Amino acid sequence: MPGVNRRIPAGLVSAVVVLLIWQVVGSVGPLAGDSFATASEAIVALIGLFADSQFWVAVFETLQMAVIGFALSMVIAVPLGLLIGLSRFTYRSTKFTFDFFKVIPPIVLIPIAILVIGPSIAMGIALAVFANVFAVAIQTAYGIRDTDPTLLETMRCYRMNAFQQIRYARLPSAAAQIAVATRLAATASLIVAVVAGLVGGAPGLGRLAALYQSAGTADRTYAVVLTLGILGLVTSRLIVRLQRRAVFWSGR
Amino acid sequence: MTTAAISIRDVRMDYPTPDGVKHVLGGISYDVTEGHYVSIVGPSGVGKTTLLRLLTGLAQPTAGEIIVAGKRLSGAPEGLAVVLQDYTRSLMPWLTVERNIALPLRNEKISKANVRQRVKESLTEVGLEGSERAYPWQLSGGMQQRVSIARALAVRPRILVMDEPFASVDAQTRFDLEDLVLKVRADFGITTLMVTHDIDEATYLSDDVVVLYGKPATVSDIVSIDLAFPRSQVETRNDHRFAQMRTRIYEKVRGLS
Ligand SMILES: Nc1ncnc2c1ncn2[C@@H]1O[C@H](COP(=O)(O)OP(=O)(O)OP(=O)(O)O)[C@@H](O)[C@H]1O
Ligand SMILES: [Mg+2]
Repeated sequence: MPGVNRRIPAGLVSAVVVLLIWQVVGSVGPLAGDSFATASEAIVALIGLFADSQFWVAVFETLQMAVIGFALSMVIAVPLGLLIGLSRFTYRSTKFTFDFFKVIPPIVLIPIAILVIGPSIAMGIALAVFANVFAVAIQTAYGIRDTDPTLLETMRCYRMNAFQQIRYARLPSAAAQIAVATRLAATASLIVAVVAGLVGGAPGLGRLAALYQSAGTADRTYAVVLTLGILGLVTSRLIVRLQRRAVFWSGR
Repeated sequence: MTTAAISIRDVRMDYPTPDGVKHVLGGISYDVTEGHYVSIVGPSGVGKTTLLRLLTGLAQPTAGEIIVAGKRLSGAPEGLAVVLQDYTRSLMPWLTVERNIALPLRNEKISKANVRQRVKESLTEVGLEGSERAYPWQLSGGMQQRVSIARALAVRPRILVMDEPFASVDAQTRFDLEDLVLKVRADFGITTLMVTHDIDEATYLSDDVVVLYGKPATVSDIVSIDLAFPRSQVETRNDHRFAQMRTRIYEKVRGLS
């Protein structure tokens, strides 16, 4: 039914289905009760939070940690990755170490971060940077190394120098990889910013959710979770759009 | 008097492999006459691409030397242009057709307006006028290969090296591209070296067909194609001498004589 598809986005259909299931599971069955809010309760609570300045401050703080953490990661990791990628030696010797750090979940660093930095905005930013910097750097370096050898040889035949090869072949080739890394880093920054509050006491939506939970207001806790879902969705949609424009040739 | 544009002198090439050294080229000697179109044919894996890599300075021979314009080759010679089989990987997808063609011109001291003019002329030469703003991936395979050829022409090359340039296009496009390079030959007289698997194509286009054969490879035959220019797909290919020459080359490539 192409006519129907055009008017109702497929994503909306599944969202409605999920909300309905949530509503039913929260109303009947073993999970029903005070500690579990239904979809309608969460939505009502969320609308209530819109009038609460504490909520908006938390949204701002979370975004602040995520955005600054993300931006810092990129500013550090992209040039670092470019440098690492320029020689096969630095790439090979760095890759192992970076891959090692890459897989350490930032959450395990929270105890250390609390000791060293304290539960603050700075801590959220630091954790987001840690979460991303190694992965983005390695991905960037990979893009530089992975430049099509045919392209580079063609350039050498036309007597183009090393600088021109970097400028016109290696960097654009890395751009496609950087774009992928950007998308992952953006959502990871958001997640880490929230976890820093939830587990580490850093300000923002994470801490707010923890507060609501200990206060026994399950509906508000779920409202925060809903907010995070929406923020995450908007972020990744936005990045995908930018990505399509910035590396329009990739995947062709 | 004819002069050698490229002189290949007793060139040998070995590759190191896990189980010892592999002798690929075993003493190749051949002089390419200025302005000639030379095809290199031979069985798969004989070392044709290897020889081209040596001629473009991408690799250094184990022994022997290649002389271009009186100098021993080290690195790509001046005035070289290349067209490779894999057009999808030799054009930059992030640059428009115009910027792809203009890229090698960065090393020449010519004005922006002149660059634009050259791009335009080269595109017209290959029958792609007006495609400046397109991206390579928006074009068909045959058109992309034309862009590669236009890029080669734009540098006003003295030497054109092509590795199976028409292998990945359909038969009709192939004929068109063959006639295109014949026209380029007539217009500019560029010294051209082409590797091909297609013996008919080699015979149709060339002044000389060089056959490589053996392990390690040596020049097993040099066939002078003394068919008149301009050549035509129908008449030239129906000439009984065309048939004789292609048969001779075929037998050499198959190691039958
Ligand atoms: N970098 C390399 N290292 C080791 N062996 C190589 C290398 N490049 C090519 N060879 C070997 O050298 C031989 C000649 O290869 P080459 O690519 O020159 O053949 P070709 O005549 O172009 O073949 P085809 O017609 O299939 O393209 C092959 O046996 C190949 O395996
Ligand atoms: Mg080959």
